[in-house]
Amino acid sequence: MSPVAAQTPEAFSAMVVDSVRAFAKSELNAQAIDRVGAIPPRVLTGLRGLGIFGLTLPAEYGGLGGELPLATRVIEALAESDRSVATTVGLHLGLGTRALVRYGRPDLQRALVPRLASGECIAAFATTEPQAGSDLSRLGTRIEKRGDELSLTGEKAYVTNGALAGVLTVTARSDEGSGLDRGMAMVVVPADAAGLVRGSEERKLGLRGSSTTGFHLDNVCVPEASMLGTPSTGSAQLEHTLSWGRTLLSAGCLGAATSALRRARDHAALRRQFGRTLDQQPVVRGQLAHSAALVAAMGALVEVTANQYSDAALHRWSLSAKVFCSEQASSVIDTAVQLHGAGGYLEDTGLPLLLRDIRVTRIFEGANDVLLTLAGTLELHSPMAMAQVPPASEPFVRSLRRSVTRLRRELGVRAFQRPALLHEIGVAVMWRDAMLAMCLAGASVEARQLLEAEALHAVHLAGKTPYPSDTVDAVLRALS
Amino acid sequence: MTPQIPADWQPRMMKLIAELSNVKAETIKPEHRLREDLGMDSVSSLELISMLAEEFGLDITVEEAAHVATVKGAFELALAHLEKRKS
Repeated sequence: MSPVAAQTPEAFSAMVVDSVRAFAKSELNAQAIDRVGAIPPRVLTGLRGLGIFGLTLPAEYGGLGGELPLATRVIEALAESDRSVATTVGLHLGLGTRALVRYGRPDLQRALVPRLASGECIAAFATTEPQAGSDLSRLGTRIEKRGDELSLTGEKAYVTNGALAGVLTVTARSDEGSGLDRGMAMVVVPADAAGLVRGSEERKLGLRGSSTTGFHLDNVCVPEASMLGTPSTGSAQLEHTLSWGRTLLSAGCLGAATSALRRARDHAALRRQFGRTLDQQPVVRGQLAHSAALVAAMGALVEVTANQYSDAALHRWSLSAKVFCSEQASSVIDTAVQLHGAGGYLEDTGLPLLLRDIRVTRIFEGANDVLLTLAGTLELHSPMAMAQVPPASEPFVRSLRRSVTRLRRELGVRAFQRPALLHEIGVAVMWRDAMLAMCLAGASVEARQLLEAEALHAVHLAGKTPYPSDTVDAVLRALS
Repeated sequence: MTPQIPADWQPRMMKLIAELSNVKAETIKPEHRLREDLGMDSVSSLELISMLAEEFGLDITVEEAAHVATVKGAFELALAHLEKRKS
């Protein structure tokens, strides 16, 4: 495929997505990948042939020069057929290479990007540690400056693409010096660097074709130019990189939910019970319509998020997209299993695999409850302005603003010390953004109306803790 | 110069700052900037003031907290509220 600049962006996007969808349909066998626990070499070769590993990498280094919206459409198309392949590619395009493309020095890009763009080299992202998951402030991996080199020491866990990786972006902390020299930073490390030891393959509930390993770093030395940006700006750079990762993950959830919805619809049209097909029965019709509305909301959130070009806006939208899409994809898939009856429990239908694959999306790239608390914190910090809000989403924006204003007035800055309240604001933010995105993306009015009651319920609960601490304490005491 | 705050407050405040910034308490200086020198972002800076307010029972608004840029600024804000409480 030729780079994006050679054609209109729309024509290029359509061509890429069509090619990927056709490839996925003919070449991806999700159940075989799950059984073997690896992506067949011919599939990786085929993806390389399509140029997919270079989709968002600069054209000057052999990539296709695509942007985040195109990447989301490709990941969605892949995930409809197989989540392991979508995760492998999505990780490479997002967390694996985004920081290098955005913050890497020209020499580093020149040396690495051509092989990453061709797919000869696959990227991984190593941030989680045995003692530091969602709380990145506790990162134990350290960077020390030694002459014109950096030395890294630490332990990384749950690294997606671990066994395939030729290059890792490693997050670590520098405690030396002050100002620009200290803080969190991302460093590019070749997988064959001396002192870097790859752990064994993890056995997982789902996404079994996607590799997950740990890494041990013992004085791994890389040139100083391998650092992406500076430690003092590392948090903001990491935030941008994670935003890309979350948006692509959301697109994968959308693809998985779309696949489940299609299976549920097709099954309901054929299966007869009580003298008529399932899709003629009111309860089932309501469940199918609810799933379809959720998928429409997920699609709108992914589209609106991917089209945010300011880092701050992308960060906030990506939190809502990640949580909403992972939660609602789980719900849509669960409904599909239920509508299949006992058959939905059998591996041959492919639904148990979807259920197993989707579960981790609520955990990795930021556990959902942590992200909701962060979304609530950001909203309390700077509430969304009413300006330019489409009329149909005004009730959600206004109701949430009222709750936030009340909390700011009653608790002042101490409101930030109430995680349970912040979490509930986060849930409301997620639903408000889903409603807002449906308006902005032009989703069907009826689909939006079907979800309005749930969204209103969430925004009305904003800033109220659902579990009073006295009651929680009493229930937990009874456990012991 | 560090504002005059009760003697037992300073170590507690330094401990909170050290916890949030992941920087050793003994190396933190009043002139350190929360973001540039201690690696905190806008959210963790607010969290710091929020923790101070909770720890010392101060009624600080979100807007006041958002303006704090240095360790000294955090001390001064706490001191101002302490004096307001006394008066």
